Amino acid sequence: MLALTPADYDAVGLSIKVALTAMAVSLPFGIVYAYLLTFRDFKGKVLFEVAVNLPLTLPPVVIGYLLLRLLGKQGWLGPLLEAAGIRIIFTWKAAVIASAVVGFPLLVRSIRIGMESIDRQMIQASRTLGAPWYDTLATVILPLSLHGILAGSSLMFARSLGEFGATIIVAGNIPGVTQTIPLAIYEYASSPTSEELAMSLCVVAVAISLVALFLHEVLGKKLVRRN
Amino acid sequence: MKNGHLQRLLCLFILVLPMASASAGEVHLSVAASLKDVCNELTDRFAGSHPGVKFMKNYGGSGALAKQVENGAPSDIFISANLEWMEHLRERRLVDTTSICTFACNSLVFVGFADRGVFALKDLHKLERIAVGSPKSVPAGTYAMEALKNAGIDRQLGKKLVMARDVRECLMYAERGEVDGAFVYNTDALQARHAKILFAVPQELYQRVIYPMSLTVTGSRNADAAAFFRFLQSGEAKGVLDKFGFAVK
Repeated sequence: MLALTPADYDAVGLSIKVALTAMAVSLPFGIVYAYLLTFRDFKGKVLFEVAVNLPLTLPPVVIGYLLLRLLGKQGWLGPLLEAAGIRIIFTWKAAVIASAVVGFPLLVRSIRIGMESIDRQMIQASRTLGAPWYDTLATVILPLSLHGILAGSSLMFARSLGEFGATIIVAGNIPGVTQTIPLAIYEYASSPTSEELAMSLCVVAVAISLVALFLHEVLGKKLVRRN
Repeated sequence: MKNGHLQRLLCLFILVLPMASASAGEVHLSVAASLKDVCNELTDRFAGSHPGVKFMKNYGGSGALAKQVENGAPSDIFISANLEWMEHLRERRLVDTTSICTFACNSLVFVGFADRGVFALKDLHKLERIAVGSPKSVPAGTYAMEALKNAGIDRQLGKKLVMARDVRECLMYAERGEVDGAFVYNTDALQARHAKILFAVPQELYQRVIYPMSLTVTGSRNADAAAFFRFLQSGEAKGVLDKFGFAVK
């Protein structure tokens, strides 16, 4: 029943690769952003907060188009990238950037929830005992918000797997190179003779999402119990 | 009280619904993306002499359009960029078989920028990214893949091909310089502002590009659609096609 072509296997592998990379690249930034939003007060914090959450409400197509205008050959950064010999648009890197931007707010939100649940007195205690801020971050804040970090990462991973609107604009649809699962399904879905192939890939997509969400739940439960 | 409002609203909705879908003078077109400009002019001309007629135009890859019609999308006239998708609908008895006829013909070219030193199919390996319509649903892509296969270079180019959802997207990719070149129809290339025709794909490598058109089963019951369908076969329409570079024979 599950009839996958070699191009479909490529799409599955690529989707996982893109989602994992997007997650790994975003994680350090996500932690910094969440830290700033939770523990620091500064001018323009509201604007900063809005900017972080913007991709959550913007249509992904808008994000894709803006990225294209930014990174494309005739884009604002185009000449700079070309001089450096970097090609982003229509490569898998573009798919990673698109997924990272779209999934970033989910990551930051989850980490922030984790950080906000930390008892402030613990942080103050570590500081009064003489720990510098980075020590507090590494030994108190990060371990105590691990739950949020894992939850955010798995959510972002799942969201990246589904990224379509921004990806199709910046990464194009190149089988074996940038064609992720949603793009492959889209291509099948516009062809009258590919119903079964589309369905097979849908089954795969559902399976991967279920595994990701299952892990998310199990990890979350384990951590809660330990705490 | 609240419930009464809701019921009245619902009644109104149910009353209005059939009126909206069957309002007079609407003609739904499902037309291959490469015909966009010529079809816009044809509908404008027809609407000029038939002020009551309103066109709902749906342009896209012919395969995608065929699938929409198959799934019940409103469509009175279907114009495909190849015979395959017309046949697909004919087999499913969704088009009025007696109305099927040839609308126009076209040919395949390769567009891009001249500075890349590409003047024939054998030079394509020099390029990084080439746009082609998704052969699963875009005829321009099906023809292009056929030509690449017959020229024996389809494997070599495999991972350089960006699949576009219709031929106009191919052209746009080339225009913006996001790809190094694209397979489009001669008539699309004439609409390009930046990209130039680098070479014509040799006709012996692919099937002739023929646009069949037909009234759908619902379209054959729509008098305005039938009138427009006759207009599409008129001398005036052929003149417009010619102006946009289409062959009419």
